[in-house]
Amino acid sequence: MNYFAGIDIGSTAIKITIIDENRALVGQRISGSGSMFYKYAHQTLDDLLRELKIAKEEIVYTVATGYGRKLFKEADENISEITANAIGAVAAAREFGEIKTIINIGGQDSKAISLDDTGNVVNFAMNDRCAAGTGKFLDACAMNLEIGVEELGERHFHAIGTPLSINSTCAVFAESEIIGLLGNNHNVEDIVCGVHYSIAKRIVKLVKRVGIREGIYFDGGPALNGGLVNAIENELGKKIFIPEHPQITTSYGAAILGADSFDYQKMNG
Amino acid sequence: MSNRLNREIETPAEKQNRHKAMEAITVLNTLKESFKEPPKAMGYFYDLFEEVYCHQKALHSDKVKVGTMCIQIPSEIIYALDGVPIRLCNGFYTDDEIGSDLLPQKSCPLVKASVGHLASKNITDRPDMIYSPTTCDQKTKAGSTIEGFGYDVVDVDFPRTKESEISREFFRRSIRGFSADLSAKTGKKLSRKKLRASISKIGYAQSLYHQLSELRKSSAVPILGNDMFLVTNAFFFDRIDSWIEATEALVEELEQRAKEKVHAAGRVSPRIVYTGSPPIFPNYKIPLIIEESDAIIVADETCSSNRMFNDRVAVDEWFVNDMIDSLADKYLKACTCPVFTKNDDRIRRIIELVKSHNADGVIYQAFAGCTVYELEQRSVLEAMEKEGISILYIESDYSPSQHGQLSTRVEAFVESLKIKNRKRR
Repeated sequence: MNYFAGIDIGSTAIKITIIDENRALVGQRISGSGSMFYKYAHQTLDDLLRELKIAKEEIVYTVATGYGRKLFKEADENISEITANAIGAVAAAREFGEIKTIINIGGQDSKAISLDDTGNVVNFAMNDRCAAGTGKFLDACAMNLEIGVEELGERHFHAIGTPLSINSTCAVFAESEIIGLLGNNHNVEDIVCGVHYSIAKRIVKLVKRVGIREGIYFDGGPALNGGLVNAIENELGKKIFIPEHPQITTSYGAAILGADSFDYQKMNG
Repeated sequence: MSNRLNREIETPAEKQNRHKAMEAITVLNTLKESFKEPPKAMGYFYDLFEEVYCHQKALHSDKVKVGTMCIQIPSEIIYALDGVPIRLCNGFYTDDEIGSDLLPQKSCPLVKASVGHLASKNITDRPDMIYSPTTCDQKTKAGSTIEGFGYDVVDVDFPRTKESEISREFFRRSIRGFSADLSAKTGKKLSRKKLRASISKIGYAQSLYHQLSELRKSSAVPILGNDMFLVTNAFFFDRIDSWIEATEALVEELEQRAKEKVHAAGRVSPRIVYTGSPPIFPNYKIPLIIEESDAIIVADETCSSNRMFNDRVAVDEWFVNDMIDSLADKYLKACTCPVFTKNDDRIRRIIELVKSHNADGVIYQAFAGCTVYELEQRSVLEAMEKEGISILYIESDYSPSQHGQLSTRVEAFVESLKIKNRKRR
């Protein structure tokens, strides 16, 4: 059996997805990027293959993507995370319907991608210069509020008053706003709700730059946060689709592209 | 579509309401939490703004609601015809963003916000008709956009000079026309008794403002400028009798505070006269930065506060037509809006306020796109310089995100005033 690997080396996490010849998901693994992308990426791949009982030789094509993609020198191909994300999202949402717009929030950036009817990327916008509205920002907020980042989603739905605005467009200033709100004895739930809405508003502005088209897919780790999903849906005024494994869409897309490239090369010698 | 949550998505109206509630509560919380203990009587105004802007409470369901695009429409006539004036000047960034899709990007945020607000289907106390004085170009031109939302918008001619007899007669005729039009629309006749009563009631409201203003002249200022803006902004839409009652309570409390020498700011906080584009709730961005920077606003020269209350109507003969003419005179002659070709009167008033309230400096804010205030800053700055009055000119808009940069400028100005005062001592 031939297998294909997609390796997404992001700023915060390394995501690896293995698929088979039928493009079916065989396994996936997520680990922290840490300080040595290259070493950890190999380690994560080895661990995953051991778990799946797949020999290294059975991986016939590897595609690397993400910020650290060029560090993974053994990859057969490199692609940008924009392309990989689009391919992965279209495949992951096949049973759901057509995907026209992708929202991706990563560890240190956020993206909006617009697709045409055939799933090709026609436009995209990125916020990659600032931590506000990214996973890092959510981590920092959770830390300030002394709760786990995984608790944010649940807390959002227990807000009682008007969500509290976090207006600063800079993550550092936003943090001090949160500390100020805590200092004035506002409850954590209302602050969490405000944090989610501040990220959602930024994301919607990003999406507007590429054009909002129905069939909206949201991925990246923060898509696991139900409160943030709710805030984005309210800001967009539209329902959005969340895949089962929102963190691995991009690596899944890379693996699919690997399988396609492999087939193409086989057919064309 | 989502496979995770079965929650209903907000409708556009609900979203707009939430955005506005978030803006409103931020300002109200700042007023309640960031300064010394506010006067207890301010509780009425905090609750009023929260109820209206966070919970969409309607105040005038049983009344004919007369929308006004500007300060230049005599509310005395509206009250005398059993209507309620609702001033449509708007301070919400949420509405400004909506208005930005309908007007040129570079328009004044106040005009964009007013249009954005009226564009939505979701208005508590929706005006039954709108009177738009032809004061600034942008408001004048916005009228036809607003008509497109299904409102009956009536222009009220306003002259661009106020010194000549021609302009005086022109505006008198204009106000007579406005009065006749409103009378026809409400089906009510403007009676001598009712007009006299409403002139008297508004006059009393003005006298309350003057009492508050007087208390701000002393070295211990019993109320923050931002709280004062909240009180005067409430006059835009509140039930007048409730407003009068709440302001009476405030006057009483502040008189007590004055006796006890309660000071709303710090011991060396510079005293500021605020002027320029009007601070309209919740856009208290610059006023809040000023008072968060350890200064205190002791007076203002703006159309959302001082200008509404400053001058009283002087009636010669208590007949309907004479009263209408007197109202027209008051609304024209007392106006210091920069739409006028010459506006020495505004400069005179700013200097007067600096002297009467013993202010250390002036902060002049113009909204980016508010052309008349932008144009007039040069003459005001020159006049202040000639008088030896320190002045800071700031251009801003409704966006809530510039706080850091703006506060640095304001803090530096406030520090310079403190140093000046220290040297004087």
